[in-house]
Amino acid sequence: MAARPKRYAMVVDSKKCINCKACVVACRAENSVPLAYSRNWLNEENRGVWPKLMAASHPEQCHQCDHPACVRVCPTGASHHRPDGIVVVNEADCVGCRYCMIACPYNARFFREDKGVVEKCDFCVKRLDRGQLPACVETCPSKVRVFGDLNDPESKLAELLNNREYRVKKPEAGTGPQIYYLI
Amino acid sequence: MDRRKFLKFSAGGAAGAAIGASLAYVKPFSHSQQKEAKRVEIPTTCEMCVNKCSLIAVVENGVIHKLNPNPENPKSRGMLCARGNAGLQQVYDSARLKRPLIRAGNRGEGNWRPASWDEAFDFTAKKLSETKDKYGPQGTLWSSTESFQEVFFRNLGAAFGSPNQVRHPSLCLASVNLAYSLTFGTVPSFDLLNSKYIIMSGANRLESFITPDTMDLIESAEYRKAKLIYLDPRFTVTASKADEWYPIRPGTDLAFMLAMLNVIVSENRYDKEFVANYTVGFDKLVEHLKPFTPDWAEKETEIPAKDITRIAREFSDAAPRAVYYAGRRSSWYREDFHMRRAQAILNAIVGSWDREGGMVPNGKIALGEYLFLPWDDPTAPRVDEMDKNFPLAAKGDGAYLKLRENVIAGTPYPVKAWMVHKQDPLNALPNQGRTLEMLQQMDFVGVIDIQMSDTAWYADVVFPESTYLERTDPVEVLSGITPVVVYRQQVVKPAHDTKTTLEIAQGLAKRLGLSQYFDYTLDQWIAAQVKELPLEAPLEYLKKHGVYVPRDFPKYGSTLNAEHRFVTKSGKIELFSERLQEANYDPLPVYQAPAQPPLGKFRILTGRRAYFTHANSTNNAWLNQFAPANSLWLNQSAADNLGIADGDRVEVASTVGAVRLKAKVTQEIRPDCVFMLHGYGKKSKWQRLVAGAGGCDTELLETAWDKVSGNASLHETFVSVRKV
Repeated sequence: MAARPKRYAMVVDSKKCINCKACVVACRAENSVPLAYSRNWLNEENRGVWPKLMAASHPEQCHQCDHPACVRVCPTGASHHRPDGIVVVNEADCVGCRYCMIACPYNARFFREDKGVVEKCDFCVKRLDRGQLPACVETCPSKVRVFGDLNDPESKLAELLNNREYRVKKPEAGTGPQIYYLI
Repeated sequence: MDRRKFLKFSAGGAAGAAIGASLAYVKPFSHSQQKEAKRVEIPTTCEMCVNKCSLIAVVENGVIHKLNPNPENPKSRGMLCARGNAGLQQVYDSARLKRPLIRAGNRGEGNWRPASWDEAFDFTAKKLSETKDKYGPQGTLWSSTESFQEVFFRNLGAAFGSPNQVRHPSLCLASVNLAYSLTFGTVPSFDLLNSKYIIMSGANRLESFITPDTMDLIESAEYRKAKLIYLDPRFTVTASKADEWYPIRPGTDLAFMLAMLNVIVSENRYDKEFVANYTVGFDKLVEHLKPFTPDWAEKETEIPAKDITRIAREFSDAAPRAVYYAGRRSSWYREDFHMRRAQAILNAIVGSWDREGGMVPNGKIALGEYLFLPWDDPTAPRVDEMDKNFPLAAKGDGAYLKLRENVIAGTPYPVKAWMVHKQDPLNALPNQGRTLEMLQQMDFVGVIDIQMSDTAWYADVVFPESTYLERTDPVEVLSGITPVVVYRQQVVKPAHDTKTTLEIAQGLAKRLGLSQYFDYTLDQWIAAQVKELPLEAPLEYLKKHGVYVPRDFPKYGSTLNAEHRFVTKSGKIELFSERLQEANYDPLPVYQAPAQPPLGKFRILTGRRAYFTHANSTNNAWLNQFAPANSLWLNQSAADNLGIADGDRVEVASTVGAVRLKAKVTQEIRPDCVFMLHGYGKKSKWQRLVAGAGGCDTELLETAWDKVSGNASLHETFVSVRKV
């Protein structure tokens, strides 16, 4: 039986997130991201009036969209969509025009002054090639992120999406984001 | 693109002024498309905090690229936190200690001259010997904090003949340890993963990591639907995840516990069989609890009586899968010990002992010991007079604040030389001015550390230790419900002219005429330790795995039989403690209402963020980015009264000091409290990111300690706040 193509995606269970920043530092180390930038981040939400309060944190990074606006606007093809769904930037082809940064509805990209190229989360493709999980997924103390193949019905990811309610951010942008936030 | 690979070590000398401002990025790029990179993975053990998580270091061409969690260690549960991930900064920080230094100017001026190891050893040995000649060996003080090579430092102090070793517990969990030891004869773990009902007082476990409790709490609270009741005057991350959060009036937790006990006892909700079989003093407890009704406790705690009653009922219904979690992080009040005892008693009478989901005595694994020549025990008494002041406390650890006050007073005898091992007393003890006073009356101060801490900044000699990624350490057992053996092995060669603590101890021992006590190598020491392990080739196993986990370790129930004798006076769990009574302490927890801040003043609270450990990681560039300076949390209503807006600069003053920092006006703290993060406003210019950034809490905190354990009490200080 021919293997079905992979479609990598991520489920995020923000309720388990304790805003400890392990994912941010792990990404910085794994991808040698200078301090001025970050490929992932935590959106903090604090509301209420003493003593009726709520606080939450929601991890975010590139949504590895199905119809990525960044790829559509890239004049050189540096930003491209891999068959497994991961959107990557080929540094050698990037001319630093930054159209992709404007096009991205999630503000997930940044321009590295030192290299003259645009950079973003690529689900740690180098780690995936070695059979490892993305750094942010692996290091998390409370395992907020679940990474996997949407086309594998046996995966934890598929199980969660089948059994839990979820939402995606900015569905109206029409880019088909592949980070699913459990409700 | 050309391939980049450069090390951004500051080229230069150790002189403080030479430390550049370049902060941008201190990890070398070991980059992507480098095809031929020689890549090795080495399992080892973290040292960014006290948890000692297992990790796998990825080294490419001799440079650490990444630290990954090691899933083999069940205690670290396959995670590595922000600090663990930032560990490689310790190696590649351009402002780290790189060679021995001897002070050139006045103390605290920051004028250093590089010295050879021989010169630093000779100088230190001369000073220690002079002190010994003049004041006896008891004239030297040896301070250290738990770490894998601490044993060599402590052995040096002991072989030198000093009775004065002071360790971290009296700045940490001494009151908890003593309360549980006197009740159960041991300090147990809490099986949070399997608990159904968890109560925490101020133990902000989701920001103050303890493994595996932090991960287990999230797992059980969010997935297994355990109920979490959380008491804290501040809305922490733990509060935000709790089922119920009560912003309790500070210092009244004991009233809450006594009322819970009152309900459980008066409604016959305790575990009668367990109480009869395993405890002593229940009758006295019943009598003692009568006045402490939920209505009484409501007035003290500001927690509604009906909630206290309901929580007590739910807690006893869920038992034995119910725990009142012990917590740690220093004492808060002078009566801290009794509050911890009340928790222990609550857990005991509902039978949450040595059962799944309750408290569980820690499992242990025996290691062998390298036998070295014994030295004579010191003849002088301790300078903190533990026998007189804290007769039940752990003598070997000392009581830091009492010790400081005695040293300053010169009683019962002078202490004039101070050796400090990887500890920063100026930031760890309340009332920094007093600690500085103690330091300044010393004829000699020597510090061993990996970074120029504030205490090192005021020292006479600074010895640079190799960081945990650059050295191999003795093997350690991490006790717990499932104990494990962890191994720390060298990942990269030392980047600078640094040594291990054993090498430093041996260098000093040689010059102090104590070499006969240090006549061994680290390899010999480790070989003796591991030969007891039930493995064919234990060291090879540890080198390959980094951790050894015993199979089929019995988890629950080893103490639940008629033959078991608890390590207490009666051999049972002591609800009523005769030992306390004999030492003239209350044998059952007695509540004393804490002083409340006078009008216009606030109680200052201390606490943590998940990405910092004490004061020692705020200067790590990868962590500092999350909080470049601290700020003063101030409730919106209190700020309105004082005319203070978010971001305004304020002065915070207590009776012992004043600091200035920015106000964070927030809803997330009681209007009668303020809070600031620890580890800022540093004096050491080599702590580039936090030197003078924000305010230093230990400048404000007043001297207070728990009466039974001597543990520093950090929440007894009232401060005024004004806009500047």
